[in-house]
Amino acid sequence: MSENILNFNYWYFVIFIYLFIGFLLSKGVIGNISRLMSVIGWPIELAQRLSGTKSLPYLFLFPNILIFGLFTFLPLFMNFGFSVTDGESINFSSRDYSGSDNLSRIILETQIDTGIENMEDDKFKASIADTFIFVLFQVPIMIVVALITAVVLNREIVGRAFWRAVYFYPVMLSPVVVAFLWTLILKRQGLLSQTLMEWNWIDQPIQWLTDPSWTMFWSVFIYTWAHLGFYMLILLAGLQSIPKDLYEAAEMDGTSDQRAFWRITLPLLMPILLVVTVLSLIKAFQAFEELFALQVGWISLVSYIFETAGLRGQKTTFGLGIAAMASLLVALLLILLSLLQFYLTRRQVKL
Amino acid sequence: MKRILAIFLFVTSASFTVNSAELKFICYQDINECDTIADMAKSWEASTGHTLNIETVGYEVIREQLENQLESGAAPDLARVTNLGGLNKFYLDLKPYVDSSYWEANYGATLPWYRKPSGDDGIYGWQTQLTVTGPYVNVTMFEDAGVDMPEEGATWDDWAEALRQVKSELGLTAGLALDRTAHRWAGPAFSYGAKFHENGTPILVDEGFRKFSEVFVGWHEEGLMPAEGWPAGAGTSYRNAAPLFLDGTVAMHMSGSWMLGNYDTNITDFEWKVVPIPCGPGGCGAMPGGSGIVAFKSTQHPEAAASFIDFMSQTENAEKFAASTSNITAHQGLQKSGIDYTGVSPNVAEGLAIFAANAGKAADTTPQAYWFQGYNKNFAIYGIVPDYITKAITGEMTLDEALAAIDADVAAKIAE
Repeated sequence: MSENILNFNYWYFVIFIYLFIGFLLSKGVIGNISRLMSVIGWPIELAQRLSGTKSLPYLFLFPNILIFGLFTFLPLFMNFGFSVTDGESINFSSRDYSGSDNLSRIILETQIDTGIENMEDDKFKASIADTFIFVLFQVPIMIVVALITAVVLNREIVGRAFWRAVYFYPVMLSPVVVAFLWTLILKRQGLLSQTLMEWNWIDQPIQWLTDPSWTMFWSVFIYTWAHLGFYMLILLAGLQSIPKDLYEAAEMDGTSDQRAFWRITLPLLMPILLVVTVLSLIKAFQAFEELFALQVGWISLVSYIFETAGLRGQKTTFGLGIAAMASLLVALLLILLSLLQFYLTRRQVKL
Repeated sequence: MKRILAIFLFVTSASFTVNSAELKFICYQDINECDTIADMAKSWEASTGHTLNIETVGYEVIREQLENQLESGAAPDLARVTNLGGLNKFYLDLKPYVDSSYWEANYGATLPWYRKPSGDDGIYGWQTQLTVTGPYVNVTMFEDAGVDMPEEGATWDDWAEALRQVKSELGLTAGLALDRTAHRWAGPAFSYGAKFHENGTPILVDEGFRKFSEVFVGWHEEGLMPAEGWPAGAGTSYRNAAPLFLDGTVAMHMSGSWMLGNYDTNITDFEWKVVPIPCGPGGCGAMPGGSGIVAFKSTQHPEAAASFIDFMSQTENAEKFAASTSNITAHQGLQKSGIDYTGVSPNVAEGLAIFAANAGKAADTTPQAYWFQGYNKNFAIYGIVPDYITKAITGEMTLDEALAAIDADVAAKIAE
């Protein structure tokens, strides 16, 4: 019988008590609307009254900090822990401290456990080299193309909104959909090979995504295609924030369009361009979803770490430790890159 | 009086909750295995008063997440797993709860797959089904090309020659496809004489292994095997070659018995069948395998969990399960007496018989297949072999370098 009461009216009961407390607390409030607000929002008003206005922001931040700490900082520290311990388990109680062994396993030519040739260092170096090649081509190409697109789409051209939508559209697609679409075009029996064979440009169909001489080209191409719109949009916003009168003044002085671009547009766009560069650089190092779904013929840093950790297939005794160490090395590298970026940005501002 | 009645009710209900357990079972299914188990569990629930909550999940959950769950203490009571030896440290030993002479007599061949590498005679799981690797062929293609299919006992070389003819007659892009994992690769490698181990320690690269590697790379170079197969995968990743068989890219798919249901349902525009596993100088090698239901140490109700597994393992239930899921049973008594697969298509029934025969041939001629299946770190080897053999195919490494790399990498991955 008592269970029935709880089950049936429990929530009504709680809401009633809540509102009743609010009603009692808000007795001194004047005005119907204000009174109503106080009845509903009494816990916040009470918190404010108890903590004072100074510490109130922290009270509001607390839940977010808790979640952030749990899901961002805790894994960060756990990663440090994994990198200096051995074992298949994710439980620290069953992992043995191993010091710098994992570092040795990842950079030495000779494997320390078997005494014969180490394969891990080659894999790690190859993934770093390939990822750098990817970033080195992908980022500059995307920024230049995004800039050109943004400048063109900022002009009074026919169907401007339509073209903007066209370039932005791929951003809204899921990475897996992007990969699926391009696989249809690029597989051996796909559209591209078929078309090129019909035109007699090639004799044999090509497996574009895995052919060693093409896989990087298409990785860069597809990744740029998929993300271009986002950076174009930021640059477009930047272009529109440049005051029109500057261009009018330049025009009155008889400045050519080209000169206006180099002397007005580009310098004033520089802060936005830097933001775009930093963002796209970070994104490019993290590139994974599209490349994974496309099954490209090279292994990026992220997929190296993902695979070594044993998250696909069976875990190995040292896999998790090696992957954690690899991720720390990559983090170090990215920190250095970011510092360089900071330094360059500062110099820009001083100029 | 009321108070006494209340106390009485409380005591009886409390004792009732102690006796009836609620078990959580994480299950994955290829076709209808979990549904069948759920159906069969009803009579066990009725007779014991326990409840079995089956959670049907994707295979990836079993393969990639279950181990972490077990480590973090969020384990289910029961699960259907395929990494039989690898998860041994989490298993509940059922020996105290079951009739071990019945289990040894009927499941003696598969029980070792669940055990620790040495000195372990525990009973850990019920092998729900045996899977065996073997090839499927596109009969229509052979007929159209006017090529005779090699007979039982033919070698891989005979089949390669026949597939070459089919390929050239019909102008196919390739003839033979094999899933990208050493699990499928091992069978043919055994046939070429690869031993895979010496006294329980893996020695992958021997003469037979090298011979088959040469042949395998050669098949890719001449175009008998497709660029969409092994060369299209990077690293240790798995690639299923079934789409290449389904869309008619190849005339033969080296796969396994678990594909029977899929092909039976999805192939409508050509004739197909299962053929006996090809042989070679080393025997007729096929990889046995399969999945099993295990209980975990962390369970609160070991007795109930063991009771359910024991219930499923009983002859009549094992037979019912095999018949309703079109699987090869691991029950040795039923293997001898045969299972009545009425209701399945003739293709599937014939396929099941051939796969079961493959398992027998492998047991007789290539016993290393059973060792490899039971080896607790076989999953690491499944990925390492394709990683480097692919590099030899694409020319990133010479075959010698690739084979040396396989040895070195396997040694590092299995080091303790």
